[in-house]
Amino acid sequence: MNLITALKFYITRMTEESGPGMKVLLMDKQTTSIVSLLYSQSEIFLKEVYLFERIDANVRNEGLKHLKCIVFIRPTKENIEYLCNELRYPKYGTYYICKYYFNNFQTLRNFKINIIAKADIKLLAESDEQEVVREVHEYYADYLAISPHLFSLGINTCSQGLLWNPVHLHRTVSGLISVLLSIKKCPYIRYQNSSEMAKRLAEKIREVLSKESNSFEFKQDSCPILLIVDRRDDPVTPLLNQWTYQAMVHELLTINNNRVNLSHVKGISKELREVVLSAEHDEFYANNLYLNFGEIGQTIKELMDEFQKKAKKHQKVESIADMKNFVETYPLFKKLSGTVSKHVTVVGELSSLVEKHHLLQVSELEQELSCQSDHSMQLQKIKELINNQQIREIDAVRLVMLYALHYEKYANNDINGLLNLLKNRGVSDKYVKLVYNILEYSGINARQSNLFDREAVAKITKKLFKGLSGVDNIYTQHTPLLNETLEDLIKGKLSLQTFPYLGSTMMSKKPQDIIVFMIGGTTYEESLTVHNLNKQNPGIKIILGGTTIHNSASFLEEIQHATSGILTKYKNNNN
Amino acid sequence: MAGSEEVLEGFLCPICVTDFKAPIQLTKHFEDFHNDDPEILKSLKDLFGKAKKKILKQDEISYSFANSIPSTTRLQRSPESNWEPQEIGMMRSHTKYFKEIRNMRLERYSTETNKLLIRLDKLLNNLPTDPVDRKVHERTIVPWIDDKDVKLCPICAKSFHVARRKHHCRLCGAVMCHNCTIFLSLQDAKKMTSPVSVQDDSAVSPTSERPISERIVRAGIGLTKLARSPSSGSLNSVLSLVNDSTGSEQHFRICTHCANLLDAREKQKAKHFDKPIVCQFYEKMRAYMKEASQHVKMYNKMWESLNEGESTYNLEDAQALRIKIAKLGENIDLISKRISVLGTRCVENPPQDQELRLHHMVRVSAMIFLKEELLSVQALPSEERYAELQKERQRRIEARIAYERQLEEEQRERSKEQRRKETWNLEIRPIMKENQPNVVLDQSQGWGPSSVAPIMPSSMDPIIEQMSNLRAYIKQARADCRYDEVATLESNLKELQSVYFTMKQSNNSDG
Ligand SMILES: [Zn+2]
Ligand SMILES: [Zn+2]
Ligand SMILES: [Zn+2]
Repeated sequence: MNLITALKFYITRMTEESGPGMKVLLMDKQTTSIVSLLYSQSEIFLKEVYLFERIDANVRNEGLKHLKCIVFIRPTKENIEYLCNELRYPKYGTYYICKYYFNNFQTLRNFKINIIAKADIKLLAESDEQEVVREVHEYYADYLAISPHLFSLGINTCSQGLLWNPVHLHRTVSGLISVLLSIKKCPYIRYQNSSEMAKRLAEKIREVLSKESNSFEFKQDSCPILLIVDRRDDPVTPLLNQWTYQAMVHELLTINNNRVNLSHVKGISKELREVVLSAEHDEFYANNLYLNFGEIGQTIKELMDEFQKKAKKHQKVESIADMKNFVETYPLFKKLSGTVSKHVTVVGELSSLVEKHHLLQVSELEQELSCQSDHSMQLQKIKELINNQQIREIDAVRLVMLYALHYEKYANNDINGLLNLLKNRGVSDKYVKLVYNILEYSGINARQSNLFDREAVAKITKKLFKGLSGVDNIYTQHTPLLNETLEDLIKGKLSLQTFPYLGSTMMSKKPQDIIVFMIGGTTYEESLTVHNLNKQNPGIKIILGGTTIHNSASFLEEIQHATSGILTKYKNNNN
Repeated sequence: MAGSEEVLEGFLCPICVTDFKAPIQLTKHFEDFHNDDPEILKSLKDLFGKAKKKILKQDEISYSFANSIPSTTRLQRSPESNWEPQEIGMMRSHTKYFKEIRNMRLERYSTETNKLLIRLDKLLNNLPTDPVDRKVHERTIVPWIDDKDVKLCPICAKSFHVARRKHHCRLCGAVMCHNCTIFLSLQDAKKMTSPVSVQDDSAVSPTSERPISERIVRAGIGLTKLARSPSSGSLNSVLSLVNDSTGSEQHFRICTHCANLLDAREKQKAKHFDKPIVCQFYEKMRAYMKEASQHVKMYNKMWESLNEGESTYNLEDAQALRIKIAKLGENIDLISKRISVLGTRCVENPPQDQELRLHHMVRVSAMIFLKEELLSVQALPSEERYAELQKERQRRIEARIAYERQLEEEQRERSKEQRRKETWNLEIRPIMKENQPNVVLDQSQGWGPSSVAPIMPSSMDPIIEQMSNLRAYIKQARADCRYDEVATLESNLKELQSVYFTMKQSNNSDG
């Protein structure tokens, strides 16, 4: 069930099928992302692939007839057109076409997958007048494998008016089907009952499973289950500041396809303008991505001390600034430690952002708001931070959002007062409106429209804001709701009311292989949760996916998009 | 790694990790201190070229330091890496369907193309020089369509008039305007229809996955059609005749449609003849890489065994292998360097951007290979050191044997005690034979390759023959770098020698 392995198997098959010789890989935008997440340059060289070209690049050069061309594309209409053209005037010697077929847009209505695939292939075959194509295959490598247990579909805003954007629904169905086929699982499906989108997706998946039943005939000795959940049930997790390395980098610097852009950092050297953070190829990162910020500093310090001992040098390494200095003073360390010095830069940048924006202070209050109930104290603190000009506007807004989610139904809440404070500070309307947006997206009212009675709602609220228990770090008190859901599922105690099975068949055994998919995007904090659950429960395998991997910035966009065009129930009385 | 107290940068000797500030000094150091291995010196000299300075530097020092990284950071172990192995996911092939469609379509094309080629051949055969005769000849072979009904050029759809006259394609007989026709020179036409070329069509084309018989049938279709076609043409288009005769001696006028068909076929043919030089270089380089990887694997095995003080492999063999690897590395370096500059000095046809990128990437991949595979090959112990290692091993073995013997002794004592007690208790028990001698595998019971015939002690000649056979095998195996086999064969030879020796002894005493 390792997703990275699953995709690597496919890519290896593609390259081996064409036999020995120099190869060029012809891809589209999305497949380029898929491949670049998997391989480093030297790894792909081992497969004799030396050139990477985009099918939509409009440079027409003479071509190299002695190259074998592996075409790895998603068969969209445009890609098929590009490829037809390419075959009419082939640039390379022979072609091996690999693609994924469940995602032609015309299949949206009735999933006549084979018929559509045949039409595409016919078009291609008729363009291949020079007989350059050797093989045409369909591989199910249509998702971004971020780690062995985590995948994304790269859809940043999947809903509109709190319903599926049909294009994204289709992309999600094909992505999920691709995941299932690549790891050969035909799962039972459970979905979050309160979510219309979850139900829709579950039905679509089942439709494909039954229409393509012969594709899904594997011998399965385990009981796989696909659990579809909705981000709207836990809007808190993506709003919080993060303190474990990977999550923190994504929150503060944004990870895109394992790449972090540092070009905005003052005085950054050319080779560090964009750094790659890949657990597959960077041992330091692999060992530290789930550690918290403090521990990473400690690890780096130890490495530097080790180096000094060997080099008989002495320089004190007490702070992150010292570390940066160290790397500059000893260029040799940079060379020897390989990726470590890259992380010194990243950690340094994180630390300066934390300091500049007083994120420890903000985070402390965030954690309190999400885990404790002390209305007047918290209200007081929020007011102070809103009036503190050193706190970023967006952080102030996030605090108000958390407050609104927590105390929406509290009789004496002062949401309006806080909104006025924000306005007085000159916070833009767009940001202020986000507070209404999140209530629309995921407030209690939104949940009340579901089949829950008041008591159940209260319980859910408690789940989200559960009390502090034995947590020593005040910045990491919060655990995502997903943790509880999955624990219940593993124990076989997950409510059939809140997460019904699709269809009448139910699983008799406890689940072993679990595929969780979060509509509206998952987070690295949740990825860590799943990682820990995998560690704690040998014998149980969980993989997590989302329409995307959110940080707070992208999540706020998602909310804005999701609630656009909705008649808001929330009115600002003072306006 | 343990010895390097100070970490330095510069021109480092890869063997003793000392900095020599400049390449000249480094080379001198080599000649002074490591001259026991002139071959290695030679190849390393080259590897110290500017391009590899960086790699080596990093490689050697990092060796001392990098090892400490995992020790401090290897805390986390991803639980996913413990998941059971999985198989490749679902796949579906559309190749069959694709080829069905393509063949259906190409069948049509190639029938048409074959027809054109046969016509072309007939046109060229006894082509009259006189324009009027020639026209008759042409029209006998390819009937021209009646141009009265043709109002528009079928290709560009423009109407004909005095300035845009009608012309006939000599290959299909259709009518079109001047702009939509081209002239095929007689010379080119002859080339196209030459027997070699015609044969090529079935032998070389990538369609050859289809049975040849099918392709012959396809050509046959063209023939029968031609035979059935009416040979008389209607007399018309005097204008075009006059017009054509002006410059048609060395050409056939043909339409663009027919030209495209012929052109596509020529391209197909050409494709198989142009395999650029880079391919040869590349294939050679890959072959060297493959060989080097195999050798490195063998070498590492030998290195480990030798450093354990074992005598499975010969030290000299390992040294020879190391030289071989260094030489292969040198070759890989050279070839990849040549690939990277391929054609860059060519003025009239400089390599295009993509080609340059390709060559550069091949070079980079070779550098990575050299760095990761070959430069990590570790030095062998010196002969003296090896002798020491062997002695150490001997001591270890002796110590272990002594220890085991002691254990055995104790065990025996204990069981004796036990048995004594048992016999005491159950008096009738027959006393078991004690002190069963330890089963010691004697030398002659050993193993050997199945190809070696069983030893016949009755006659001596077969043994001598066997021994010389074995020596030949060993030589062969050594030449092929199959050192595992060398080890086995050598132990066989030793056995044989000892058997031979004892037999000789007994024979001598007998006689
Ligand atoms: Zn030296
Ligand atoms: Zn025309
Ligand atoms: Zn024609």
